[in-house]
Amino acid sequence: MSIYDGLTAGKPAVVVDFGARYTKFGFAGEFSPRCIIPTQVICPSSRKLRWVFDYEDEADLYALLVTFIHKLYFRHALVSPKDRDVVVIESILSPTKFRDTVAKVLFLHYEVSSLLYLPSHLIVLAGLGLSTALVVDVGYSESQVIPVYEGVPILNAWQAQPIGSKAVEERLRKNLKEAYEEIKNAGGDASRVLKPIDLDLETLPDHVIEDIKVRTCFVTTYERGKAMADGIRPPQPPFADYRLGGYSVLRIPGEVREATYEVVFERDNEQSSLANLILESILKCGIDTRRALAENLVIVGGTSMAPGFKSRLISELRRLVKDNFYKPKLYISNFKMHVPLVKENVASWLGGSIFGATDMLPLRALTKEKYFTLKTVPDWCNLATNELYLSKLTLS
Amino acid sequence: MSYLIQKEYVKYECTCGSLKPISKLYFCRHCLELRCGYCVCHEVDSHYCSNCMEHLPSAEAKFRKNRCNTCFDCPNCFHTLSVRATTRSAEDGNTKTPTKHYYLACFFCRWTSRDVGIPDQTTGTGNWPVKELPFQETLNSYLEYYKVLAMRERNLKEKKTYSSPLIRGYSSFSEKFGLTSMIARKRAGLPPLSLGGKENTQSSLPKIVPSVAVDDVEPLPDTYFTDLTKITTLSQRHSYPMLQAETITSLHPQHRHFYIKCSLRCRRCEHNVSKPEYNPGSIKFKIQLAAYYHMPEVRIMTFEPLKIGKPSEIILKITNPTQHLTSLQFGSLINSEERKNLKTEEISETKKEKLPLELPRPIRNLQINTDVELPQCSVILPPRDDAAEYDDSADTHNFQDDTKVVVWRKGNKVAVKMKITPQNGMEGGEESIFGFSMEYGYVNTMPTLEQKQPLRAEIQVNLFISRATYHLRRIN
Ligand SMILES: [Zn+2]
Ligand SMILES: [Zn+2]
Ligand SMILES: [Zn+2]
Ligand SMILES: [Zn+2]
Ligand SMILES: [Zn+2]
Repeated sequence: MSIYDGLTAGKPAVVVDFGARYTKFGFAGEFSPRCIIPTQVICPSSRKLRWVFDYEDEADLYALLVTFIHKLYFRHALVSPKDRDVVVIESILSPTKFRDTVAKVLFLHYEVSSLLYLPSHLIVLAGLGLSTALVVDVGYSESQVIPVYEGVPILNAWQAQPIGSKAVEERLRKNLKEAYEEIKNAGGDASRVLKPIDLDLETLPDHVIEDIKVRTCFVTTYERGKAMADGIRPPQPPFADYRLGGYSVLRIPGEVREATYEVVFERDNEQSSLANLILESILKCGIDTRRALAENLVIVGGTSMAPGFKSRLISELRRLVKDNFYKPKLYISNFKMHVPLVKENVASWLGGSIFGATDMLPLRALTKEKYFTLKTVPDWCNLATNELYLSKLTLS
Repeated sequence: MSYLIQKEYVKYECTCGSLKPISKLYFCRHCLELRCGYCVCHEVDSHYCSNCMEHLPSAEAKFRKNRCNTCFDCPNCFHTLSVRATTRSAEDGNTKTPTKHYYLACFFCRWTSRDVGIPDQTTGTGNWPVKELPFQETLNSYLEYYKVLAMRERNLKEKKTYSSPLIRGYSSFSEKFGLTSMIARKRAGLPPLSLGGKENTQSSLPKIVPSVAVDDVEPLPDTYFTDLTKITTLSQRHSYPMLQAETITSLHPQHRHFYIKCSLRCRRCEHNVSKPEYNPGSIKFKIQLAAYYHMPEVRIMTFEPLKIGKPSEIILKITNPTQHLTSLQFGSLINSEERKNLKTEEISETKKEKLPLELPRPIRNLQINTDVELPQCSVILPPRDDAAEYDDSADTHNFQDDTKVVVWRKGNKVAVKMKITPQNGMEGGEESIFGFSMEYGYVNTMPTLEQKQPLRAEIQVNLFISRATYHLRRIN
């Protein structure tokens, strides 16, 4: 798109990807979102920060969204919402309550002209020019796996588990607490690395834990992870000193830095590691499609940006597929991964931006007029309204 | 304007149901209704840079992606960067004349553009290097491809040239049966059914090179990062979504983001209730229909300590900000839903259709727990007279006030006494809240097409008054 298109071609739609932690927001036809901001607002009465996704009920969500979307338009997009189209990227597993309330806020409060919901797992492929892939979205609260074959999502093969940044951050806090607990019990000078601290790790704010995770933790190799799972302690990586503000420093032991992300790959009794999830999903797909899916892994979501994450995942898959449980059923020999052209956390947004700039928008968007006659958002799984709402794109 | 910093003791009920202090309310003179930030329509008015105060028309701001051409933000701490100059002689050694060199520096965190290897510039305004998105061309080709695809699908739909009902059935049920049919067709060597598919080798479809999956992904580097000062925080990464630098050394300054001035429009009559002046340096407004210019303002003057179940006195000071005499009447809270229905009935049927849809009423977390005994008589409130403010002797009004109700008056201000009784069952420490409606006469001086003369209207508003909690606790 030439840069002058923005001036001539009317008003581009705004594209929003509401994330459990971070929301991506920008204009259709651009390849990078204008902003990535925490999905939270300051509650006007209590002055406390609240996450939009921690809503109590629909009325609460409505109020949170009104405030949050105001911030998106008037602090970041700097355009009037009225009479402009909106593209919302959503997980196909996103609750009906959320999508209905988003529509209500956008149509009633912001008077937008039309609204198009795009399923994230499908459109992410537009940013890669693909039509067949196994899409693995590692987000904040969960990981989702949805196979897409020739542009059609294989919905009965989707898998989801609560393994994402939330679980990683919980594990980090737990590991830190245990490390310092051990020092305290050992009497302080038992270790040359750690000194007991005068700090309650339980009350350390979530954003500090998140920052420690981002800046000190990494995903270790398959071999070292396996050794840790077997109870062998390989030589530790170096510790890192994290400044809490002022002169207060929290020392992060090497073991904690290395072991935190293991929560994603641990194979407990329920076989619910991320690699298990992927294989289970492939197993539910037809034999003809399996090889194509395994050789077209697309990993998206902010959590997958951790150093070493993808390399570990592919090693895990290659070992696990040789496991006695999967070997006789799967018949897959190799896995291949796509390298996204943009960062993993904005990959879905990019797909939405591409589709939002095409005729898909006038063709499939729900217009204001239609919304007011229907008074509801037709659901993707509702065949009664399927004719109106064709947002299940057939990409191929 | 002490209420701007005071706790919000007195709240007015806006037409939409929100409870707001008078300083946050607007009064639409066309609808004669209260409006607030929740129930007006916000519009972007003008874009400006808060650092250099440059302001741009919207089209140009859009073209510059809402960023200032001259100012930069520090990628490390987000403060504004300054241009610094050094003088040194040219490095080639041939010319000895010293030239000026410029670089960007943050006075707050000491970050400089030299830290990340951005070469110094020879002009102050600088031709600072810009980061380009990698794979721009590939992404453009994808965009073109999907544009053609979608256009084709649209044309197909408009012409309704679905080849057969069978295919139509397939495509609308593609979620359910799409895959099996797809594979079946593939086996049979038929092109897939989906509209305008890639395999439909039609000449006009642009060629794209899809991403190719790889065997080896970048492994974890052997040297695990240890120096935290070199790894960026999430907010540093997210402030530049295109770049998302993971290390300090790859940070890059970004042009400063614009701010906007906002105008507010009444949703019902589409008139502005607030419109700022265009110039970003000005804090004035072209239109500012703030409620405190148009309706009596109520403040708590003094009150007796509260006792549960016992009446105590509270004195409210009421001020008339308008140029017209008004008369106040107090009553119990009116149900605003009912009042709205009455109002809408007055509007003719043709107009009603044009009305915007009702906004959902905001959630109210306010519970009346105190009874109030209101004055039965009406209270006259003289107009505001700026000259009288400075004249102590000129209190010439002779009002036949009921001394049990009006305890004091001066100019356009009056103090009204009420009795309030906290209800039984209130907890110590709980905030005591009472409410009543106030009716006042409003003179609309704005000439309209139908009405050239000033128009007098009676306006009712609900008030909710809360008093600090500790008073209650102290007594119990
Ligand atoms: Zn309002
Ligand atoms: Zn505003
Ligand atoms: Zn500037
Ligand atoms: Zn700085
Ligand atoms: Zn109005």
